[in-house]
Amino acid sequence: MRVLFFAQLKDVTGCDSMELTINEPLNSDQLWVALLVKFPALAKHRASVRLACNSEYAGPQTQFNQADEAALIPPVSGG
Amino acid sequence: MAETLPSPPPGPAGAWAEFRGIVRAQENDQTISALEYEAYPAMAEREIRRLLEEIAVRHPCLATTVIHRIGIVPVGETAVYVGVAAKHRGAAFALLAEFMDRLKQDVPIWKRRSLPAAPTAIPLPVNSLRVPPAGQPMAIPVSLAEAMAEIYERSKPLPPMPVSLEEACGRILRQPVCAPEDMPSCDRSTRDGYAILQNDAQNEFRIVDVVHAADWKPRQLQSGEAARVATGAALPCGGLCVVMQENVERKGDAIKILRRETVLNLRRRGEEAKAGEPLLQTGMRLDPGKLALLASAGCAQPLVSPRLRVLHFTTGDEIIPPGKIPQPGQVRDSNSILIRSLLQKFSGTVESAHLPEDFEKAKAEISNFKFQISNADVVLVSGGASVGEKDFTRSLLAWLRFEIVFSQVNIRPGKPLIFGTNGNRVAFGLPGNPLSHFVCFHFAVATALAKLTGESAPKFLRGRLSAPFVDAACARETLWPAQLGPAGLRPLPWASAGDVTSFATANALLRIPARCDSLESGTEVDFLPAGDMLDA
Repeated sequence: MRVLFFAQLKDVTGCDSMELTINEPLNSDQLWVALLVKFPALAKHRASVRLACNSEYAGPQTQFNQADEAALIPPVSGG
Repeated sequence: MAETLPSPPPGPAGAWAEFRGIVRAQENDQTISALEYEAYPAMAEREIRRLLEEIAVRHPCLATTVIHRIGIVPVGETAVYVGVAAKHRGAAFALLAEFMDRLKQDVPIWKRRSLPAAPTAIPLPVNSLRVPPAGQPMAIPVSLAEAMAEIYERSKPLPPMPVSLEEACGRILRQPVCAPEDMPSCDRSTRDGYAILQNDAQNEFRIVDVVHAADWKPRQLQSGEAARVATGAALPCGGLCVVMQENVERKGDAIKILRRETVLNLRRRGEEAKAGEPLLQTGMRLDPGKLALLASAGCAQPLVSPRLRVLHFTTGDEIIPPGKIPQPGQVRDSNSILIRSLLQKFSGTVESAHLPEDFEKAKAEISNFKFQISNADVVLVSGGASVGEKDFTRSLLAWLRFEIVFSQVNIRPGKPLIFGTNGNRVAFGLPGNPLSHFVCFHFAVATALAKLTGESAPKFLRGRLSAPFVDAACARETLWPAQLGPAGLRPLPWASAGDVTSFATANALLRIPARCDSLESGTEVDFLPAGDMLDA
């Protein structure tokens, strides 16, 4: 699964995307666990970051599959 | 990211509300010159669409246009544009206000960083001295390719600044520029004549209006109606064509068409560029044509690279000014004018001074120098031809707190080239021979200047020899002066690195591989544009 990082999260992870291999569909909490293993420094951003799946904000029911594109959306500041 | 939804239909819309979000000069109590935006484009587009559809359920509208710029947006320019067409203004205002609130909460676009208003002074890093003491063995020479890559990597672009169009000529544009609106903004006539509906089969028309070049008189023309229009005039509505005045017979306020053309005689709205379409890219050198385009797009204060400030020291007690007559052992200074004129293309200011060969005296000279060293972006030291020139230059650059990156390049001529950095400043120690100067400027100094000003680095091109190349094989890669003409690249004769005649007519440097002693006419070779070809 491709995971995208934006804005200050690029500085935290040092990259703008990564490949994450998952064996079964994950919900948001499980995806966070997998990400924090790779990037422990993301922990303090978790409260303010929203997850997106295939360009839509993830909800409580969202399942992330291997073929999906996940994204971590920090607080936005457009306009 | 630019999201263009259909333009408002001319029919039922009674309101067209627009909002422009402008970049302010103050951001977090700092005076800035621009903001840089970042987006997750696919999702941003989707969110914008979703929000509009959701809000439009409560505040029905007919059409919307949303444009959000990403990348660098200078102060005073529009970062976000929203246009809403609705039957009545209430719905248009309500949708616009709610959409902007939601955009700021949900659409994945970020202000990535702000660019400071003016270049800030660069503090001297005191602890960065890693120069080996004099007498220690020199580092292994780097190859030509390594040297160019190292210089490009270690040189840092100067912070861009907004300047007037007059000031911008010859400088490097540091922002993308998009069309602020459709260009032209409405259909315009290209003839003096009469505007009528395109498919109006009538032969006689009543003149209902007169439109001069500066007029804006929108009205829907009906069949049998014509508007008198001047060249350049804005046509009163869409779907018109212009009949040249030579092709009609006028009687009072009526015309009769004598001859119809297949051409419409107009410039269509947006035919040059649609709103939001990119016009110019970051890294382009602003020439008269591009400045005219910036002016017509309303970009009166483009963000450009600041003028390079170059400090050039010549050294060597044998050097005398060009106007003097040399005694035996003396040579006229040809390097100062060479450097100064090569730098013209990079629109910089050059301060020069000649330094005595005695190191203590040279330091005293620099200390008394009116030009502040810390104000220079680039320091160039032209060595003399005397023994120990390299140690002198190294010591001088170390004293000026430059960290030496390399001090030898495996190249002919120009092997003793020194490159150093100090914060964002760069320095070169150029071997004193004129041809070495010419060569080192083109592959080394020009690479640093390109990075500092935000331009792409000099690149080798491919060309064919128009005459054979013959030389004693050299163990080093060679940059050989040549003349590029219609027939191809002609190698110029040169005997030594001190040879000024060899490059007087050169506009290219051939890249001759190490240990190559001859190449036949017609052989394909790499070359670097040089001299007056730099601008090509």
